[in-house]
Amino acid sequence: MRRLLPIAVVVALSSSCGAPGADISGVPDLPEMSADEFEAKLAVLDRPAVVNVWASWCIPCRSEAPLLNAAFEVHRDQVGFIGVDVQDNQSDAKAFLAEFDLRFEHVFDRSRSIPNRFGGFGTPITFFFDSGGELVSTHNGIIDERGLALGIDELLHLDP
Amino acid sequence: MEFTLLWAALTAAALGWFGTRLWPDGLPDLPADRLLGAGAIGLLVGRISAMIAQGTNPLLHPGDLLLVRGGVDTAGATIGAVAAYLWSVRGEIRYLDAITPAALLALAGWHGGCLWRGACLGTASDLPWAVAEPGSVVSRHPVELYAALALVAAAWTVARLSFRPLARSGLGLVAVGMVRLLTEPMRLSLTGGATGWYIAAIAVGLVAALVGPRLLASPSRAVT
Repeated sequence: MRRLLPIAVVVALSSSCGAPGADISGVPDLPEMSADEFEAKLAVLDRPAVVNVWASWCIPCRSEAPLLNAAFEVHRDQVGFIGVDVQDNQSDAKAFLAEFDLRFEHVFDRSRSIPNRFGGFGTPITFFFDSGGELVSTHNGIIDERGLALGIDELLHLDP
Repeated sequence: MEFTLLWAALTAAALGWFGTRLWPDGLPDLPADRLLGAGAIGLLVGRISAMIAQGTNPLLHPGDLLLVRGGVDTAGATIGAVAAYLWSVRGEIRYLDAITPAALLALAGWHGGCLWRGACLGTASDLPWAVAEPGSVVSRHPVELYAALALVAAAWTVARLSFRPLARSGLGLVAVGMVRLLTEPMRLSLTGGATGWYIAAIAVGLVAALVGPRLLASPSRAVT
């Protein structure tokens, strides 16, 4: 019985979550956007924004995705959330969105022009913008719950 | 694991080791090794628990295990660490009681490791000791430092308790639950924290501390 226990645990874990090959039939293509168009979008947003740069091949992005979803659910009425998918292809990007059920807006930026415009490096990056579209802070690399919550709280103190 | 988190883990390990030197009474052989091993297993269990809760299969994405910044489930980590330590000492409760002050000190080190991670700050505050992020005008509670100091005080207090089965470890669990519960309102959170688990830890710790000495006390188990 004791020898079967590890096998049972492995089987349970295998079937518990994170099924590969998520169904992307209901996920629309991500709209392509240039850095100029993105800047204009932020300027008319009229509320602070969290912009997360991600890619389907980016392993740390996987651990950020649930946090971003949680943040979106908590702050969706006060803060805009936009994902920027970089150096990716549409089908992998849509599979990523379907797997994590990311419910906020995403744009497609194959050439990385958007993060290059704002000065971040690597993937993932999280940018925090005020309601006027001005960059407040940048977090390069994986962000944790406290860091994300702190960045959002700082934005909300700028735009109460 | 990121370097900032690695520094936080090293701080915890150093304080845990220091705790075993400061309070050596009744410890098994190689106490720091057992404590650090239990802490590492607890971290792993907590990370796996968090991944499953977030919908990521640890078997399909084993690399994600290293992304501690993605979240560690506090309850899973605690249960994993205690179970691993008890397994390493063959279930001898007296060794659990003996290691409790050092474990509390190690936990204080993990919280104090926020200094390396830049993650000490919580909700906004006007108190004189509140601090602001670089470039920010909003001063905030250094909430993780509050937790670290409270856990150091708890370790010092628990180390002064007499050895009775589960008294030290039970009250240690109560202290951890209380520290987390009382500091939680000052933490910035997206997921609401694990308040229910903290209350459960306090309840379990109290029951263990009250019932343990009566149920388990015997000359063979007592440490003098």
